[in-house]
Amino acid sequence: MNDGGLSAAHSARETPVPSMRQRAMRLFLSDFFVLYLSLAYFLVLMPFLPTLSNPANIANILSNMWPLLVVAVGQTFVLTIAGIDLSQGSVVGFTSVVGAMLLATTASPDVLSNAPIWGTIITENGGPLAGVPGGVAIAILVMVAAGALIGAANGIAIAHFQMPPFMVTLVTMIVISALAIYLTQSENIRNLPESYIQLGKGDIVSVYFGEQDESRIPRRQIHSFVTYPMLIAVTVAICAHVLLNRTVFGRQVFAIGINRKAAKISGVPVKRVIVLVFTISAICATVGAILYSTRLEAGRPTLGDGNFLLDVIGATVIGGTSLFGGKGKIIWTVFGVFFFVLLSNTLNLMNLSSFHIDMVKGTVIVAAALLDVLRTRLIQGDAL
Amino acid sequence: MTGSARDRAAAVLTRHGTLLLFLLIVFVFGTQAPAFIGPENLGNVIKQASFIGIAAVGMVFVLLTAGIDLSVGSVMYLGPLIAGFAMRDYGVGVAGGLVVAVAAGAVMGAINAFLIVVLKIVPFIVTLSTLFFFRGFGAYLTSSRQFDFPDEIRAFGLSSVFGVPTPILFFVAVALAAHLVLSRTAFGRQVYAIGNDEPAAAKAGIRVGRVKASVYIICSSLAALAGFILIAQIGRLDTGFGEGREFDVIAAAVLGGASLFGGFGTAFSAVIGATMIQAVKTGLVFTGTNLYLQPMLQGLIIFAAVFLDSLRASRLEMLRRRFIRPV
Amino acid sequence: MTELLSFEGLRKDYFGVPAVRDLTLGIRKGEVVGVIGENGAGKSTLMNMIGGVVAPSAGEMRWLGALYHPRSPSDATARGVAFIHQELNLFTNLTIAENIFVDDFPSRFGLIDRTAMRQRTADLLRQLALDVATETDVEKLTPGERQLVEIAKALHRDAELIIFDEPTTSLTPRETAKLFETIERLKADGKTILYISHILGDVKRLCDSVVVLRDGQLVAQEKAEGFDVPDMITAMIGRALGGLYPERSAAPSSDILFSAKGLCQPGILEDVSFDIHAGEILGLFGLMGSGRSEMARIVFGLDPLEQGELTLQGNPLSGGVRARIASGVAFVTEDRRAEGLLMDAPTVDNLSLVSIEEFGRTSLAFLDQARLEQSTEHLKTEMVIKAGDIRTQPVRALSGGNQQKVVIGKWLMRQPDLFILDEPTRGVDVGAKFEIYAIADRLAAAGSGVLFISSELEELTGMCDRIMVMNRGEVTGRFDRSDFSDRDILAMAFGKKPETNGVAA
Repeated sequence: MNDGGLSAAHSARETPVPSMRQRAMRLFLSDFFVLYLSLAYFLVLMPFLPTLSNPANIANILSNMWPLLVVAVGQTFVLTIAGIDLSQGSVVGFTSVVGAMLLATTASPDVLSNAPIWGTIITENGGPLAGVPGGVAIAILVMVAAGALIGAANGIAIAHFQMPPFMVTLVTMIVISALAIYLTQSENIRNLPESYIQLGKGDIVSVYFGEQDESRIPRRQIHSFVTYPMLIAVTVAICAHVLLNRTVFGRQVFAIGINRKAAKISGVPVKRVIVLVFTISAICATVGAILYSTRLEAGRPTLGDGNFLLDVIGATVIGGTSLFGGKGKIIWTVFGVFFFVLLSNTLNLMNLSSFHIDMVKGTVIVAAALLDVLRTRLIQGDAL
Repeated sequence: MTGSARDRAAAVLTRHGTLLLFLLIVFVFGTQAPAFIGPENLGNVIKQASFIGIAAVGMVFVLLTAGIDLSVGSVMYLGPLIAGFAMRDYGVGVAGGLVVAVAAGAVMGAINAFLIVVLKIVPFIVTLSTLFFFRGFGAYLTSSRQFDFPDEIRAFGLSSVFGVPTPILFFVAVALAAHLVLSRTAFGRQVYAIGNDEPAAAKAGIRVGRVKASVYIICSSLAALAGFILIAQIGRLDTGFGEGREFDVIAAAVLGGASLFGGFGTAFSAVIGATMIQAVKTGLVFTGTNLYLQPMLQGLIIFAAVFLDSLRASRLEMLRRRFIRPV
Repeated sequence: MTELLSFEGLRKDYFGVPAVRDLTLGIRKGEVVGVIGENGAGKSTLMNMIGGVVAPSAGEMRWLGALYHPRSPSDATARGVAFIHQELNLFTNLTIAENIFVDDFPSRFGLIDRTAMRQRTADLLRQLALDVATETDVEKLTPGERQLVEIAKALHRDAELIIFDEPTTSLTPRETAKLFETIERLKADGKTILYISHILGDVKRLCDSVVVLRDGQLVAQEKAEGFDVPDMITAMIGRALGGLYPERSAAPSSDILFSAKGLCQPGILEDVSFDIHAGEILGLFGLMGSGRSEMARIVFGLDPLEQGELTLQGNPLSGGVRARIASGVAFVTEDRRAEGLLMDAPTVDNLSLVSIEEFGRTSLAFLDQARLEQSTEHLKTEMVIKAGDIRTQPVRALSGGNQQKVVIGKWLMRQPDLFILDEPTRGVDVGAKFEIYAIADRLAAAGSGVLFISSELEELTGMCDRIMVMNRGEVTGRFDRSDFSDRDILAMAFGKKPETNGVAA
């Protein structure tokens, strides 16, 4: 269970001198399979896409990866208890609006005067926390609280009223994104304070590959590698990994995903864990909202609309987390997100249009699922 | 005692909760805006409900087998688009176009079915990926541009027979045909059997693979038909057409009483669900509710319906608990 | 009488291990034949060969003298074999008529010919004296009625040989009686019946002859007349009773550990009271539908209790499952796969599940992984759980007996005071059974109370200090060890006498 079920077969397979076939099998069944696949993909494409390995492009891949990772980590928890959270995208949009309306330094009446928040929360002088010391921290707390509340509501409906997660979170998605759009009348809230924007754009370690003798380094040749979003995302992922694998709560999450009845009889507080899992999912979406919204330098109600949610679920499932519960790992999700982002990036570099990207994405999701079917069959054959 | 009276009331409420909710909604809007319950408006509601409704009828087939089809929104786009090319570039008429759209839908359904039945990948993932794929393919065909249909299509879309608008005719025909198939044919009853217990269905000699493949083909065909009928009223196809509609379609089917866990629901579930959603939409317009608030209220009404459904389910479970001695 | 089905030197190996061997046997047409044997004796394998699920490795089967080698279940069905399993294969969302015709609906112009279907179904139901409308949804039927629908299905397909596999496990006594009448009627119509059951009294009562299997071999084929239950048991286990159960190592104390007073739950329990002493094993015997498992679930807080009092060491028990566990109650469920184990999780996770909260200071703090592994490893050794790497191998891969030890083991870590064991030896082989009895003895010797629920009377008389008998939700008898009498206990399980015998517990 702490191995997510996969390495069970992996280590059982250990023999003194592995044959080629066994080695291939071990690779295929390894936790790192998706990472190997991504690296292989990267290496194969490198000769054809010279820009792929440019520092600028790698920085770009990474910066696209962090926000998606944070949200997908939340989804991993939900999938592990055999649930699904369709409301994450709407939470991203909604909380980005909440943060922006509190923090905006100024706002234009031309854009926002029709919005119900105009005049009460936000005015031409910005939001209530504009210029307040510690305002960014307070705003983030409010955002997280709002997200947690939505997640807890999902969890309560699912755990206490036995409603199907698909429908509950679908309704939440509809309601919350409508609420977000209503609050701003579908407008973006701009003019966010610099200290907030730092969270999405700030960097700690940047690399300059150009000539050393220039007195001023041109801005566009600096490539950010260690950035605030990276720190935030990696912290979230590590915390989630610890939570899922090293705590009582994590064990209970897996137990519920594998067999809810047995978990209940063994004294697992099933309802409480379900509520917590959906709360975590929504909080992750909120952190994602901070990263997306600061990168965009705006609160946007439609930030998580469209195919965003499908990207999240697709990336998580490609990593190897099962839709049927009981099988999930944060590290898989990291690789799944990496693969997904790398794929989109390469397709962009090939100058493929968005529709080609959609088609390839679709094919890749099916291929990943097919691999998973094969892996599961191999493992079950092994367990018998 | 009042206990039994309360029990009976609870039984009625849980069994017919959705319908009662529907009547309540009509009543509330009727008092707010009397024009809402006028025959002209009610006809309009049904006409506008036909788009989601026709697709939801197909979705019911899939849900009955405990499957799901997320690709319908893209099928609604790609099916009519292929028909559009046939009409514009190959001189196919409107009737021919309709056939092409449905056939294209059937092919897309067959692709889903192949992946689900033969390769045994879960429906959620399969249809999630074909959602991307079909839309991508459509955008590739049009280079992401709007597609204009030949003019005669609007004549068809806006036509009516004996005063009944064509979309309603199609909606009614599809619903009746689906009802007949589901309730009166061997295939229909086997769909229910599979949704109830798939391994048992296989043991009982039902050709599970074939039946499951058929439901995905039916679902996609009807989604394409739904798309074509709406396009026929508009005359053009935007790239975003149908995007996100999969959720409306599923919500309509579930709202009308189809279960996501298979085995429960009828063709009329889709009709009731789709009409209800449309009635709420129209009612909110009639009462002048803020445009942006409307989806919120719709969402809450869907929530109420799902909540009623979960009450019904837990009540059923309670009734199913075995008694070993007389009460 | 002619032989409907016969076997000649029949053998089936699984991975080189014989499950059935050298089986030569004839089943006469029109007879009701009981098939008995312990789990693993080869009954299921034999039935799977008859049903076309697996092919024999050697030997042959003959049907009315002609070679019979069904290649698939539908082959066997076509020949006239029908199975009535313990879990019925009915579709609860369809009507009775639809269930009977589900694979070959009569149709006219592509639509189902409902009139024909209804008439034929009504005929069948009349034959079986089932007075229910043909259009009733199966969901609304009782387990007994559902079974009759399965039989109607078999009749509809002109089955010659109807195989009942533990058909009474989910029936009430009344439904069982009706089933037996139906079987008599089928026999009168010339059908041949194979009746597999662990309830030997039923076998004795119902069957014309009895076939006993042990270790895949035929050990006896006797006329039921004159073949009494003790003889059956001796034939099944290959030795006389005794030596099957460990010596009890300590006598129960006189202190009352647990008491239930006046438990009432409409439709389930009626005024059930009993005590369990420290160090005592109290047996609870009852047939399916007697309310024994239902009571266990109520005591454990899984199902609601309308009236009555539960106390453990003088403290009242209340709240749900978590509160019961905290108070020191443990529950080994009768359904290991569905409710007992996380089948895809390794032994460590299963063993630590109940006490997991003791390995972390709070639910969000780090688990003390080393202590956890040490404890589970210790438990594994102590309980002699035969498993590979307990940190990685899923319990799905363990044998039934070892799985059951894991289910019991997960409770041991908390050292509970009251153990409820619901059918702890079901689906477990003889060797593992002994070990489970030994565990029950050790628990009692350590001062816990054990409520041992079983439908196998022999193991209760072998292990328990006292036995309580239930029928239809009521306690119908109580026996002290010195008064144990199979006949009286069974009689009370069938509800024949009110509570007169024994000492009130």
